[in-house]
Amino acid sequence: MKRFAFFPGCLIPARHPAMEFAIREALPRLGIEIVDLDNASCCPDPIYFKSKDKLSWLAVAARNLCLAEDLGLDIFTNCSGCTATLSETYHLLQNEVLREKVNKRLKRIGREYKGTSRVRHIVTLLRDFAGYEAIKDSVERPLEGLKMAIHYGCHLLKPSRIMQVDDPNDPSVMENLVTALGATPVRHRNWYLCCGKACQSDEVPSNMMHDLLGTVNDEHADILCMICPTCFGQFDFGQMKVSKQFGEDFHTPPVYYFQLLAFAQGVPYDKLGLERQRFKPDCLRRFETTTIPEG
Amino acid sequence: MPQKPKDSPSGKNKVARIDFRFRRELAEKIEGDLASFCYQCGACVGDCPATTYGSDFNPRDIMLKVLYGLGDELLGENSILWECTNCYNCHERCPQDVKPVEVIISLKNMLADLGIYPPAVEKVIQTFEKTGRTVPLSDAVNRQREKFGLPPLPEVPMEEIQKLIEPDSEEGEKD
Repeated sequence: MKRFAFFPGCLIPARHPAMEFAIREALPRLGIEIVDLDNASCCPDPIYFKSKDKLSWLAVAARNLCLAEDLGLDIFTNCSGCTATLSETYHLLQNEVLREKVNKRLKRIGREYKGTSRVRHIVTLLRDFAGYEAIKDSVERPLEGLKMAIHYGCHLLKPSRIMQVDDPNDPSVMENLVTALGATPVRHRNWYLCCGKACQSDEVPSNMMHDLLGTVNDEHADILCMICPTCFGQFDFGQMKVSKQFGEDFHTPPVYYFQLLAFAQGVPYDKLGLERQRFKPDCLRRFETTTIPEG
Repeated sequence: MPQKPKDSPSGKNKVARIDFRFRRELAEKIEGDLASFCYQCGACVGDCPATTYGSDFNPRDIMLKVLYGLGDELLGENSILWECTNCYNCHERCPQDVKPVEVIISLKNMLADLGIYPPAVEKVIQTFEKTGRTVPLSDAVNRQREKFGLPPLPEVPMEEIQKLIEPDSEEGEKD
């Protein structure tokens, strides 16, 4: 088993516990041991609190990284926003002047940031430590014939020099992860667009989502595969809102990747909390009748 | 002293006086100084979703205002800065490593110093400063977690968080 400290953040454990459940089901099946962090706080979020004061934002983020340093483990995140904050902190604190400033703050609580724990987005654990083949082998019911449109979102990929996850102009990690489930990834024309959640205008996010959902519809995808809980909200509640606003029928169910993975690995549909979504991925149910091999 | 373009927001054919004081103040914010390297190529504009899908937002224009020191046009109620989607495309594209999105966030730090936030933003910040989380704990949250066999979420040690977000004292931190 490879061990990593788990940084669950706020949105997944508090608003989407079904996603956390799926992660805890899926990772051990791939030889990855989850080590929980005590006393973690919000990352803090890279949109709101960072807008107030970058130095305080860095100090709190560095404290979270210290918790993983105490355990001598690398830290992994399941939310692209947490990845943005923690990866950027790791990157910025390689600068000695900034590190000293932050460590002065940390000294107030008897801590010191050393920079010994790397930050990893959960998809890179799958790719780099489990491998696509192992994922394929862990699948008990391949999702054959399902078309999945992928929404990468922004912070998994960008800024690429800091995130170091994949090529931001032509990524492949999510396509490969979807293929490992036996499903067929589809790249809709607007795959690279942002979900718009951070934008404080009404006009920008709704126009953008309208364009995005239009190209998802063109592909007749069965499912929108999500990797960020913030984007998920925009495609769940947001998809309904955009449909009403523009008087068009958008209805592709968004599903967080790890719920798809856990389902393909054999976790029953009814245990995965999918019935709480506004758009339910009923197309998955037909795979439950597939015989699961003994043993 | 460079001249402003004729369509400059601050009037026609005037000799520009750059407010370096504003730029120096911005430079005190982390990565706020990067704006100085902007040569106005516009690489940030083409891929900016807030430019494509909105009516007024333009990252090159915001960088130009910073270069001229036109703080008043950026730092007020209903600032255009809040239309940024934080997508980081401009960070990705900028050939000068200006990181326009980071300069924009540094400008928001200046807005925060003035106590100006959109209500939705202020609400999340307050939740974090009170609870250490952006989604606060509640019995309902823990009941949901229980349904999935997940343990209740622990409280965040707020005394540590509060000490960390306390501003540095004027005379600097004691060693």
